[in-house]
Amino acid sequence: MRKSYKLLIISILAVLLLTACSSKSAEKEGNGEKEINLLFNFAANSLDPNIDTSYVSLRAGITETLVHLNDENLMIEPWLAESWSSEDGQTWTIKLRNDVTFQNGEPMDGEAVKASLERAMKDSIAIENALRIESIRAVGHTLTIKTEVPFPEFPSELVHPNTSIIDVTETDFVNKPIGTGPFAVSSFTPGTAVDLMRYEGYWDGAAKLEKARFSFNEDANARSLALESGGADIVFRPEVESLENLEAIEGVAVESTSTFRVHQMTMNLQRESMRNINVRKAIDALIDRKSIVDTILRGHAAVADGPFPSSFSFAPTYPEKQTGIEVARTFLEQAGYEEVGGVMQKDGEPLALTLLTYSARADLPLIAQVFQSDAGQLGIEVDIQQIEVPEEYMAANRDWDLTTYSNLTAPRGDAGYYLNATYHPNGALNFSGVNDSKLTGMIDQLNSTVGQEGRSDLAEEIAGYVDKEVYNSFILHPNTLVAYNSDKVENWVTSRSEYYMLTNVLDVK
Amino acid sequence: MIRILSRRLFEVAIFLLLITFASFLFARLAPGDPVLSMLRVDDVSVTNEQVEQLREEMGFNDPLLVQYGLWLTDFVKMDFGNSYITKQPVMEMLLSGLPATLELTAGALLVMILIAVPLGSFAALYRGSWIDQISRGVSLLGAAVPSFWLGLILIDLFGVRLGILPTMGRDGFISAVLPSVTLGLAITSIYVRLLRSSLIDSLSHEFVRAARSRGISETRIFFSHAFRASLPPVITVFGVSLGSLIGGVVVIEVIFAYPGIGKMVVDAIRARDYPVIQGYILIMAILVFLVNSTVDLSYRYLNPELRLKEKRKS
Repeated sequence: MRKSYKLLIISILAVLLLTACSSKSAEKEGNGEKEINLLFNFAANSLDPNIDTSYVSLRAGITETLVHLNDENLMIEPWLAESWSSEDGQTWTIKLRNDVTFQNGEPMDGEAVKASLERAMKDSIAIENALRIESIRAVGHTLTIKTEVPFPEFPSELVHPNTSIIDVTETDFVNKPIGTGPFAVSSFTPGTAVDLMRYEGYWDGAAKLEKARFSFNEDANARSLALESGGADIVFRPEVESLENLEAIEGVAVESTSTFRVHQMTMNLQRESMRNINVRKAIDALIDRKSIVDTILRGHAAVADGPFPSSFSFAPTYPEKQTGIEVARTFLEQAGYEEVGGVMQKDGEPLALTLLTYSARADLPLIAQVFQSDAGQLGIEVDIQQIEVPEEYMAANRDWDLTTYSNLTAPRGDAGYYLNATYHPNGALNFSGVNDSKLTGMIDQLNSTVGQEGRSDLAEEIAGYVDKEVYNSFILHPNTLVAYNSDKVENWVTSRSEYYMLTNVLDVK
Repeated sequence: MIRILSRRLFEVAIFLLLITFASFLFARLAPGDPVLSMLRVDDVSVTNEQVEQLREEMGFNDPLLVQYGLWLTDFVKMDFGNSYITKQPVMEMLLSGLPATLELTAGALLVMILIAVPLGSFAALYRGSWIDQISRGVSLLGAAVPSFWLGLILIDLFGVRLGILPTMGRDGFISAVLPSVTLGLAITSIYVRLLRSSLIDSLSHEFVRAARSRGISETRIFFSHAFRASLPPVITVFGVSLGSLIGGVVVIEVIFAYPGIGKMVVDAIRARDYPVIQGYILIMAILVFLVNSTVDLSYRYLNPELRLKEKRKS
């Protein structure tokens, strides 16, 4: 009897404790404040805007950059910088807005921006390389920046989130950077969340939300469940398998937006068979893009014709291509191959390819398997090898023919980054070993061309040439998935660049 | 005493030297290049010359022994360096995440004790009964269910359906409940079976029969003699498996967005952030050493035979 009594008391206490917890969290949400909780798929242990590779400061609306990427036309546009100009592509005059203040009330002037950019270059070798700045001179709200070499894409590099402008006189960059954005940091728990409050003095009009939480969870299932439980209002990249469940919930909207990423089949041109353009054309024809998009990506991707998504001004209109096994067979026959006893061979040598893949992007190994299966039907033996760090392996070894690889092609609205890194003989991502003097000349010309229009035309021409020569084969552009509580969230825009998330116009109903 | 202490300290120094050297070698011989992460080749246009130049500047082209020597020199000066990626001081980073991981580990141990002790004890006392069968079932289930899956089930149940427990982050005691239960359930099974078999063994010892013949109550025999005598093997296994337990926390930390050291080191391994990896291994080595020393000391308390032997010697 006494035992039962004790058990009863313990049970009541446990229930009371749990009820107290649940009512506590309900109070937190239901205090009438306009607040949103966004759940992101990467965790940050530091908010340092110039170093953090998850770009949380920019995404959470704490900081801003001088130049903005317009999500509609994918062109760069002024943000903290009012305008910029250069005659030679090496000396740049940047006029700053004169109505911007940092979240501590200090004005954002030329000296502050100079100090911020210098700090970014000092602390991040990647930004130092990206900006290539030789000197900065600040007078009032005007900056004169000289780059080490003529660098026409300089303004587009100022879109990079790690060039965010911060007040460097404040020192706690890791936990409380002071930027110019619509939200100031109220507290930061590394790896978990950053709590934000509206900055009333924001230059573009104070945010409609009073508070916001930008939290992190790297597990896709847990993110989906967080939306279902009401623990989050906006969820980035929910589990693909959970999409049907989420869509079935009343008041949940799911958006699938194309990105600037391309999944490609990188070709090693230093291999004997790959040197033949008809073999490359055959491989290109063998890739069943539509089926890969529909089955592996469940429709959440766009078929790729080239490296750049078609919405970019420098994406060419590609000629229609025939694909399929029979088309591939024709190309291989033109390359001198013939099928003997079910094996595609040339001069008695069977066509055997080594295909590298890696699991950091779960869809790439599956794409490799689909290709292996299709190639097998044509008598091509494909040996799939799983590697861990593709960049390192491809650069250090030449014993492979193909790699399923994923790349950002124009993250800041300019084609220069991708074309230089991937097709210039000195490019760190030129794993194919492309060394085509005509192509190099075109890229060099791009590197000295100032002005968006001229650069676009040249980049388009280069992309067309890459397609004609079949330097790599492009498979698809994966989408970004965002699910959110549409009964609560208003004015949400899924940014294609994924740079801009919490904005001053985001609101609750 | 001083002699024992200095001997122990010397052993620790050798142990740390060996483990840091081995981990240094493994980290550097494994595929991966921190220079590519630092230069962010997937986001910023970089030339091969820049990659090679940074490699040279960072000393990655030096012989491994030279690199290790430099690290060791800094280590002796208690300088653990900065993370290549976040630029933060390594020890500051790791020590900020350590409390959360230790909290989860302690929570999991509490859950384990709350389940394993009664279940293992009853299973031993009532061998072959329904409660023994239940303990067997619980152990099998615990061993078979992956902790990430269990975590999601618990989130779904307590976060989505019942809405009574937080499912993410570290915000007071209550946020540690679900991750601790998940981790605790995952490790419980082995201890239930271990405690059961150890208790059965203790209960069959002569000292138990002698106690019974002297008319000591069964409850006292169980708690004061048999249970205590059954603990050394359980504690030994605990001491040995603590390292892997802390290492296993990482899955739980990811699912529950619990900001611990495990997740931090996985990120460091991905980016080949060597200073963070070295710092983590060092902390783990010290922790494992401390726990094993405590386990050694606990034998003295739990095993009267050991105490008697020491007394006789003195």
